Amino acid sequence: MKGIPTVLITVSPEVSAQMRPPRALYPNGFKNGNSLGKPGMRELQRSVLRDALSLLTIDTRPGEVVTRDYPDYGDYHEPPRVRKASKTDA
Amino acid sequence: MTLSRKCVPFTPFEGNLSKSTIAIVSAGGVHLKDQEPFNIADELGDLSYRVFTNEVNSSDLKVTHHHYDHSDADKDINVVFPIDVLRDLQTEEFIGGIARKHVGYMGYTMQLKAMYEGTAREIANEIDKGSRADAVVLTGG
Repeated sequence: MKGIPTVLITVSPEVSAQMRPPRALYPNGFKNGNSLGKPGMRELQRSVLRDALSLLTIDTRPGEVVTRDYPDYGDYHEPPRVRKASKTDA
Repeated sequence: MTLSRKCVPFTPFEGNLSKSTIAIVSAGGVHLKDQEPFNIADELGDLSYRVFTNEVNSSDLKVTHHHYDHSDADKDINVVFPIDVLRDLQTEEFIGGIARKHVGYMGYTMQLKAMYEGTAREIANEIDKGSRADAVVLTGG
């Protein structure tokens, strides 16, 4: 297997960044369960998917998550944070 | 924050999106209504996965996952598994085609080694050998 290019759409950017995904999009403020947006908002969903796929074609820094704003989504939800590692975890 | 010590598994994308075939792999617990649901009773998580063809009808898909609120996905599966959105992008010729196979699994497990060394490799093989995908979109819940 030579490998398959991937792009991740994540609503937990800090959690996803720990795994250093090769390409990742965080739609800013989208809540868990809304990776592509809200139900029925097809144009918004298309925008998110176009932007995610476009990350395949541009020079991104592997391991980093790209944040984009989608005002049509309406709400803003704080993404889950990663618990700070204690000394024993280091 | 602790970063993975594993290297970034970066595979270059060589080609043109408008000529490329795309697959979806979702950790959102997506499966066909007539497929066995994921076992949410197992506290260690369910390591299995489900395969769908490119002809899958989005109304035949559902979510079994107890670690996120999937009430919006219950109304429109495309919010976590954008198969109809992908079809739209094919119609507008943004992408070339829809891959033959797509995969759903439950992105929660306490068995990380088994997920990483077992399930993840099996899914990659499924996509690599059976889907003819040029690239994969990964989604979570």
